[in-house]
Amino acid sequence: MLTIEDLSVSYGAVQALKGVSLEVPPGRVTAVIGANGAGKSTLMRTLAGLEKPQSGRVTFNDEDITGRKPEDVVRLGIALVPEGRSTIPDLTVEENLKLGGMWRTHAQRNTSLTRAYTLFPVLGERRSLGADTLSGGERQQLAIGRALMTGPQVLLLDEPSLGLAPLIVTQILELVGTMAKDSGLAVLLVEQNATTALRVAKTGIVLNLGEIVKSGPAQEIAQDEELRHAYLGY
Amino acid sequence: MTNFIDYFLGGISSGVIIALMALALVLVWRSTRVVNFAQLAQAMFTTFIALTVRDLTGSWLLALAAALASGLVLGVIVHFLVIRPVKRMDTSGAIIATFGVLIALEAFAGMIWGGDGKAFPPPIRNTGFEIGGRVWPFSPYDLLVVVTVIILVLALTIVFTRTSVGLAMRASAFNPEVARLSGVRVSRMLVLGWAIAGFVGAVAGVLVAPLTTLSPTAFDVFLVFAFTAAVIGGLDSLVGAVAFGIGTGLVISLVSGYTDSSNAPVVALVLLVVNLLFKPEGVFTHHKARTV
Repeated sequence: MLTIEDLSVSYGAVQALKGVSLEVPPGRVTAVIGANGAGKSTLMRTLAGLEKPQSGRVTFNDEDITGRKPEDVVRLGIALVPEGRSTIPDLTVEENLKLGGMWRTHAQRNTSLTRAYTLFPVLGERRSLGADTLSGGERQQLAIGRALMTGPQVLLLDEPSLGLAPLIVTQILELVGTMAKDSGLAVLLVEQNATTALRVAKTGIVLNLGEIVKSGPAQEIAQDEELRHAYLGY
Repeated sequence: MTNFIDYFLGGISSGVIIALMALALVLVWRSTRVVNFAQLAQAMFTTFIALTVRDLTGSWLLALAAALASGLVLGVIVHFLVIRPVKRMDTSGAIIATFGVLIALEAFAGMIWGGDGKAFPPPIRNTGFEIGGRVWPFSPYDLLVVVTVIILVLALTIVFTRTSVGLAMRASAFNPEVARLSGVRVSRMLVLGWAIAGFVGAVAGVLVAPLTTLSPTAFDVFLVFAFTAAVIGGLDSLVGAVAFGIGTGLVISLVSGYTDSSNAPVVALVLLVVNLLFKPEGVFTHHKARTV
């Protein structure tokens, strides 16, 4: 569905990604794990169109989408939930949701809105409150809800566990895993928290200093102690 | 006491007009984080266009339409011609560029229409209502101004809070990155912000012209008042701009009434300084302090 070939990105003299290639297949979660500074966020931002790659190719449903603008990428069906629970605190919960997918038809948007409130009931209860009144976990749900409002085929989740209690992280990730299985959504999940990420993922990819050092079935990666010591630091 | 009531009434119509001007500044600030010091020069230019149309056709409504249309267009032109290219370099450059636009527009207006003050006749009677055997400093024209401003502010409020475009514009102002990731074409929203600001400024210009005389520099003093109101209101807040626009108008009217009208800009600047010292983030704002 989403194919990344030999992608390189640099910020000035610093090369954040060096020839990264990977596949994001539908109906499952693909997890990219790695320490701080491994290039995980850069990968996500580049896929979403926020950063321009130096070289390499991104293909989505056989269409070359390398270097497209973020507002065009999301319209094609690739939605990013950026790092840090990116909601807009000045808007209400419902306005944050409605922001996603404004180009879609009224009927499509209403269906997505109902679905978001079913998935995250707490958002329905707080729909007319300001997003600034939500807790961290609720804001993460809102950020994911906004991305789902765009009707994506690919969901890019950048570090959803950041600053959240482990129990909430597990809940959110399990929900995402179920969603992928049930609706055929392709999920690319980037995490520092490898244990939780690999539990919901089918495939694991270890990124270190901008390069893929290992990829394979998530379970195998989770059990590879040497790998853990070397790249994940625990 | 009668003096106070007179000065108060006299300040209402200029207050609501200053509110519109402050609103125009806020609209531009929210869309591009630039204070457009040329906003009122644009309004002056479009008011001259309105006066020309009025002189040619004799129709006040056609004149108003011309002002509104040219206000929209001029806002877009300034954005594309000056702000967009300069802003790629840095924001302070764009703010200085708006001063350039101000000077250029005043010079152009002088070349086309001359530097002398011209009378802009009001569409309806501008002598005070007579109630209880006394003429009050509030005329049918003042009433028209107040009603027009109320309608415009209500319309803008509905657009911003009840429509998709309004939501997209607010989101683009608060967090352009999240807006883009949601599929909003943020650059178009910026252009729209400049266009609406130009439109609002044009309305303000046409409304204020009959209360003063129209010349290339006639609106400069209003820039001081509108800027004060916008900053005290928090620069981000439409409500703040309107509230403090009206407040500034009243204060100016009282100061001019009790002392001398030449003191008004000074008082406005004093208010601005006091605000920046004690509440630099503005009164109507959610955000943490801007530091001076």
